[in-house]
Parts: sequence; C-alpha cells; structure tokens
Amino acid sequence: MAAQGCTLSLWLWLWLWAPLLLPLLLGARAAAARWSGPGTTPHLQSIFLGRCAEYTTLLSLQPGNKNCTAIWEAFKVVLDKDPCSVLPSDYDLFINLSRHSIPRDKSLFWENNHLLVMSFSENTRRLMPLCDVLYGNVGDFLSWCRQENASGLDYQSCPTSEDCENNAVDSYWKSASMQYSRDSSGVINVMLNGSEPKGAYPVKGFFADFEIPYLQKDKITRIEIWVMHEVGGPIVESCGEGSVKILEDRLEALGFQHSCINDYRPVKFLMCVDHSTHPDCVMNSASASTQRESPSLFTAVHASLIISLLVALTSSSQV
Amino acid sequence: MANYEFSQVSGDRPCCRLSRKAQICLGIGLLLLIASVVVAVILLWPRAPLVWEGKPTTKHFPEIFLGRCLVYTQILRPEMRDQDCKKILNTFKRAFVSKNPCNITKEDYEPLVQLVTQTLPCNKTLFWSKSKHLAHEYTWIQGKIFTLEDTLLGYIADDLMWCGDPSTSDMNYDSCPHWSENCPNNPVSLFWKVISQKFAEAACGVVQVMLNGSLSEPFYKNSTFGSVEVFNLDPNKVHKLQAWVMHDIEADSSNSCSGSSINELKLIVEKRNIAFACQDNYRPVRFVQCVKNPEHASCS
Repeated sequence: MAAQGCTLSLWLWLWLWAPLLLPLLLGARAAAARWSGPGTTPHLQSIFLGRCAEYTTLLSLQPGNKNCTAIWEAFKVVLDKDPCSVLPSDYDLFINLSRHSIPRDKSLFWENNHLLVMSFSENTRRLMPLCDVLYGNVGDFLSWCRQENASGLDYQSCPTSEDCENNAVDSYWKSASMQYSRDSSGVINVMLNGSEPKGAYPVKGFFADFEIPYLQKDKITRIEIWVMHEVGGPIVESCGEGSVKILEDRLEALGFQHSCINDYRPVKFLMCVDHSTHPDCVMNSASASTQRESPSLFTAVHASLIISLLVALTSSSQV
Repeated sequence: MANYEFSQVSGDRPCCRLSRKAQICLGIGLLLLIASVVVAVILLWPRAPLVWEGKPTTKHFPEIFLGRCLVYTQILRPEMRDQDCKKILNTFKRAFVSKNPCNITKEDYEPLVQLVTQTLPCNKTLFWSKSKHLAHEYTWIQGKIFTLEDTLLGYIADDLMWCGDPSTSDMNYDSCPHWSENCPNNPVSLFWKVISQKFAEAACGVVQVMLNGSLSEPFYKNSTFGSVEVFNLDPNKVHKLQAWVMHDIEADSSNSCSGSSINELKLIVEKRNIAFACQDNYRPVRFVQCVKNPEHASCS
C-alpha cells in the first residue's frame, strides 16, 4: 500500500515537472550543435594524406615531387584558428606547395551540378574541374573546423557562411577557386544548371566572386557556357535568359569572347543514362542543330561571304 | 739418465704438447665455433628481397589504402562507417607479408574476407569482362548498381599492386611477380580471385554482365568472369543472368547475342538452372559511349 502510494506520488511529481524539464532537455540538445554546418569529417588527416598520395602517385600528369606531409602541415594551421577567423590567405602556403599546372582547354567551372561535373570530367581524363586538381581534390566533400573555445577539432558542427564569413571551409574554397582561375588557360568551360529555381548563374557565388575576377584574359581564348536542364525537369533558364544573360553581359563587358549552348550534347547523354526512354532523351540530328553553339557575329558574316563567293563563282562559270 | 727427452724445436710445432684427447676437443670446439658463426651470419645478415620482373608495390600503398577505405566508409557509403579501416589494412597485409609471393593461397585471404562483410541489394550486381572502363563509367553515373570495384574491398584495391617477401615484414617496393614469370598464385591474382568468388556467391535476383562485343570472343572462358564468377553464382538466389554485349561505337554493329561465344555462355548458365537473356548495345550504356561520340548515328 505504501509502495503504491510512493509510485503514485512519483508519477505525479514527474507529470508536474515534465513540462518544465522537457524543454530544458531539448534546449540543451539543440544548444549542443553550435553551428549550422556538418562537423569535422572523422579521420580528416588520413583521408587528406591518402588522397594526396593517390593524386601524386596515380593521377598526376607531372611526375610527383609533391611532399604530402608538408602539404598537410601547411593545411593544418587553420585547425588551430578560431572557427570564424580563417581567411583565404591562411591557405597560401598550402596552395603554394600543392599547386600544379592545369592543361590548356581543360578547365571546367560549374554551379549547382557537382556530381554531374565529377562524372563528366572522368577523373582528369576528359576535363579537370577544381575537384580534380590536387588542392581541390584533398578537401572535396570534407568539412573541418576548430572548436570555438578550445583547441581540438569540432566534430559536431562547423560554421557555414550563415554563421560567419571567415570560416575554414569557405575560405579554403575561395582560396582554391582563385588559384584555379589564375592557372586556367585556353578554352574555359562553364556548366550551369538551368533547372535550378534560384537561377543558373548565382550572382553571388564562388564562380561570380572568386573565379571570374581572377581569370587571366591574356591566357584565355574563349568561354563556353553549357546550360543543362534536368531530364523531365523544369526549364527555368536557358541561354540568353535571366541570370544567364547577366553572366553573358558580364563576360562581354570584361572583353571575353563567349558562347552559350543549351543542353550540351555530350553532357546530356550522361544525364540520359538513367532516363534512356524519356522523350527528353530522344536525341536526333534535328535537335542537334539547334544545340550547336551560336557563335559571334564574325562567323555569321564569314559564312555569308563564302556563300556570296560561291554564287559569284558559279554564275561566272556559267557565262 | 734424464727420463725426459727434448723434442725437436721448430716453428710450426706447438710449444706445449697437447694430449690426443685435448686435440680432439679443441678441434671439435673450433669446428662448432666456425659453424655457429656461419649460421649466425646466414640468419642475421640482411637478405635482399627476391627480384621480379613486374611493377612493384604501389608507392605509398598504406596511405592510399587507408584513404580510400575512409573515403568509401565515411563519404560514399556512410552505412559502412563503423568499419575499422586500420584493422582492415593490417588484416589485408597479413595475407601476404613475409611470404614468398608465388605461394599465396585462398586461405591467406580468409581473415580479410571474414572481417569485411558487405550486403548488396538484389538485382544490383554488374559483372564485367574486357569492358572495365565502360562498366565503371556506367555504375558511377547510375549510382545504384555495383561492380566488384564498387564494393569496399574492390574499391580500395582497384589498380593497385602489392606483394611481400620472405625476408621482410614490409611490402616489396622494388618489384613484384610479372604475369610472364609463371607465378599464378601471387598476392594480387589470389585477392581478386577470392573476392570475385565472394561477390558472385553473394549475388541475388537478376544479375547483369557487360561484355565486349568488339572482341572475337565476348565471352572468354579463361577470364575471371568465365572461370570464377559464372560458376559461383548460387542458382537458389540468382534466377537470371542478363548479358549486355557492348560494341565499340565506331565499329560496325554485329549481332553478338546470337554468336557462338555468347551461346556458350548461355549453355553454361542454363545448365546451372539460371535463366539467360542477352541484349546488344543496351541503350543506357550506349549513352555513356555517346558522350565521346555524340554525333554518331547510333546516338541519334
């Protein structure tokens, strides 16, 4: 009887205090995740060193004289810094040690289609986007930051741009992007996502702010934009429309020769691998002609001159 | 008269005369000493590793192995994040280090196979023969179907070379057996044989195989597919094998599904109570080929 009374009062007590305790407990849980981004990737150092070793041993176009240990030592200085005080310049030594040349005509810039870019580039065989350059490869898909008020890495969460501008990961990509642009030459390819609701060309983004401004005009012949649309997906923007037009105008103003193609055929085939029976994936030569690049006025004039010449020749031969 | 004699003194004679017994003892002792010195030299002298004709263990092998294992388990397939990559590396090495690289057995890799278990969904297995690059391009973009190199162990070891040597517990970074050296039981070949077998044994449902239709024999009986995988499919789990015979896009498209090589495969498979189907130039994979040849007739 007494025991029953005890249990009853215990339950009563819990029922009374639960509304107060529960929010506190939940609040404590939420407070544990300080930042809005994923925490440091477990085994960061081993992944970094493994990727560096793989890149310099198996993928490198230039026989490796890269010291992966030194590259890691240069990179890891940011792991001692306050998570919101990491600047792109903190990666200067890291970039210096891992930098290598990018083959001409092989650069691929992109926005909002990371996986497609990885598939299309074929591990440096076809093209070399930033994730296939040593200083972009080692950090791809990884996350890292120091704890806010202690030394040691934060494995729970890391700041994103929403939390603070000078976070370790964003500064890394800014630094890498700037270098990548500086080292790009020849024909520059840009792959954009024409099904992205917010627009194919983010006016504020890595490409806009940390790549275009660092392109070297004297090393670049022309810039080719591919606006890809998802199979069966919405056509939000195409060449000459919306944010794509903003990009084209900007490149024009900067003095770059540029062209734009909707659903660049080789990439489209890759997107169609998983949708081979979809109407969007019926590729015939008729549609191919509309997808061919619309070059500058120069070439159009050139073509009409040739036609006039041919007409003149045939008419003179008939005389 | 003195009862001792002076013996003739000469340079090559010991000054004191030893008894016969002492001489024998001394002789045996010297022999034993020399023998033990020789044995010690043989055992302790650092021996050079065996020399082979083939490429050596891949440079930075342990770092690459560990990095790939972690990328796979932490990023690509997070459902496997509890795998202990360091332990996998050590178990892997124990299969062949300190051993003659021509004497490796299936049992040497058994601890590794027991350690790393990976269940794959049914109907998602893709075998390949003489079409590695195309098969991998396809699975990479498709993302839901697995070749052996899309499983953890295959992913880690793909395109790597390794071997050990009896004289050291380290891997041999100077050379490894070449295929021409009559050394079929080498660490690399055995590894792929063992995990190919396990891969086939674990397959279920409808399985696929990508074959090269531009070869005279798309189905080659001495290939890993033809000699190991086909015979380790479990008819209780696998009810159909579907072959995709892919031709080089520039080559004329011939009807390989009806050819004698594929027919041989058909007979083997059906004899094992597994249904067989064949498709020439399976369209989704053809699209992968079209990436390089977008204007080709078959890409329209």
